[in-house]
Amino acid sequence: MRRLQVPLLALTVGFVLADSAIVTLALPAIMQRLHGTVPQIAWVLISFNLVLAVCAVPAAKVCHRSDPRRCCAGGIALFALASAACALAGSMEMLIVARCVQALGGAFALVGSLELLVSVRGERQGVGRWIAAGVVGTAAGPVVGGLLTQAISWQSIFVVQVPVAALAVPAALTVPPIRAQATERHRPAIAPNLALALLSAALTAALFLLVLLLVEGWRRSPATAALTVTVIPVAAAAARPLVRGLRATPRMEAIAGSVLIAGGLVGLALPPSAHLAWTIAPQALVGLGLGMTVDRLTAAALRDRLPRAVHGGWTIAARHLGVVAGLVVLTPVFTASLQAAQGPAQDAITALVLDAPMQASDKVAVAQALADHLSQETDQVPDLRPAFRSLPIAPSDRAAATQLEQDLNDQVQRAATRAFRDSFLIAGLLALLALVPLSVRRRAS
Amino acid sequence: MTAAARLRPLVLPIGALVLVAVVLVVQLANGGGRFAPSPLADPCQARSAATSTPKTLDALGQDLVLRGLAGAACRLGISREALTLDLAQDHSNPTNAQVDALRAGLLGAIAAMKKNGTLPPAADVVDQALDATDLNGLAKLAIRALPDGVINQALPTDEVLRQAIENLDVRALLTDLDDTDRLSDLVTAAVTKAVEQTLSARLQSLI
Repeated sequence: MRRLQVPLLALTVGFVLADSAIVTLALPAIMQRLHGTVPQIAWVLISFNLVLAVCAVPAAKVCHRSDPRRCCAGGIALFALASAACALAGSMEMLIVARCVQALGGAFALVGSLELLVSVRGERQGVGRWIAAGVVGTAAGPVVGGLLTQAISWQSIFVVQVPVAALAVPAALTVPPIRAQATERHRPAIAPNLALALLSAALTAALFLLVLLLVEGWRRSPATAALTVTVIPVAAAAARPLVRGLRATPRMEAIAGSVLIAGGLVGLALPPSAHLAWTIAPQALVGLGLGMTVDRLTAAALRDRLPRAVHGGWTIAARHLGVVAGLVVLTPVFTASLQAAQGPAQDAITALVLDAPMQASDKVAVAQALADHLSQETDQVPDLRPAFRSLPIAPSDRAAATQLEQDLNDQVQRAATRAFRDSFLIAGLLALLALVPLSVRRRAS
Repeated sequence: MTAAARLRPLVLPIGALVLVAVVLVVQLANGGGRFAPSPLADPCQARSAATSTPKTLDALGQDLVLRGLAGAACRLGISREALTLDLAQDHSNPTNAQVDALRAGLLGAIAAMKKNGTLPPAADVVDQALDATDLNGLAKLAIRALPDGVINQALPTDEVLRQAIENLDVRALLTDLDDTDRLSDLVTAAVTKAVEQTLSARLQSLI
């Protein structure tokens, strides 16, 4: 068990931080299964991140004052139980409550793991593993969630966490007793935590909105969307080896990373078409930026500050408050943009149906099928494909109907892409705002 | 400290800016930012699509309705699509302005098609028209035996259509949009009456 302590604790950290975004690709499936709306589904993400943000520092203080091993093990056990409850949830309300409990357990697991990893591996390596596990979890969350949703079901996302967490409980309890830390108390590092919060808000858009755009707007399967967004973790992993040779200071890396994230988000706001290839370069920019900022800023926030767990808690609180702020700001913008896009989309669809080279009776049949179908799909990007199944149209009009279906889907994709634009641009602005605390820090130093 | 050493820390942020600029320039050059729903055509501009003569009654009807809708929308100051959606979504009580605009739009469509030479002669569509009517077989046979020239002279397409639009109860037509049988009855009654009126006018002018 001792040999597995570090991997299991790191995996737990990765899972808890991945949970912030792991459900992103499962959201459409959850929305369909539990009959949720876009604002409701946003709360599946918001609730977890909000509770994690609010509880991280108090949990760290409790861990610091008591035995971090029990604190961590208790948190992991609660996280595992709540994960199982998420998988069994039969309504949106139940799922949201289970996500809150999951985050509460996750908060204790995260800050406890920081102390335990340092205890096993020493200060430098322990903190390094903790930060790296968090970055990998954040970046890989949507990919893992998407693949599991497509291969098995959305419930499997939560089920797979249970055995890992169950194994991590004894791993945490068997860590040697931790020596009492010095009684020194440092103030939280404001600049790196603020930059972390702003970048996390921006990264939320990259992960949450991009996945929604791919699955709901462009009608790609969760697996395709998951494979597409692998660009972000791959680029994040490549960032460190790429910049190592440049010998830049951590602050310069963070500044460059913020610029890359902002640029990537603007790129995602302006795709020339709904072809997946157009998301790759912007995602690569976001991934490189993620790899150059989050670990550097977390390390800066933790460096030489005690109690370590409490400052670890502050970084978690900053990141997840940022995620919540991102969701709270961007969800209404996105929802309003989606509603505003309905008019132009309806007009474009009407024009296509009116001008389709088909018999009048077939046009009426298509129009009626579309009207019936669209009335069932409010507050979301409509999927027009079912309206074309088993349409009573003349054989001579079938080719024209197929072309019409393609043209209509193109218009829906255009409207959806336009609806996401403002949210991506606002997220890009949030990433640029991270430059403010980074430059303030420079003057202070 | 040399200039190179002073600039060294800036290499990474400048490199990031260059990378971002390259990606955005490529996206914008390929239409980034313009991927949005297609803009709507101005209903007051003649549509280029309908410049050939319709070969069937269905095609003629569609041409007239599409041109008529555009004309009505132009008169009402809205898009053709907005008018179509208005009429489709709330057609139980069309406004007087909508009814008048649609009638005027349809009459304008006939005039425009006549001017363009895209109205088919009556003889081209008489077979299809007869198939759709409930005239007895003998009468249909007799009409089909008439030479095309006689039919075209007796029933100028534009006159028949204009008379049919005048006879048509546009308000009832809009109210019954869901009921295709009732729609068909309304149109057939208006066209039949228009044919009778046109023939009667021809005979009177001959006498």
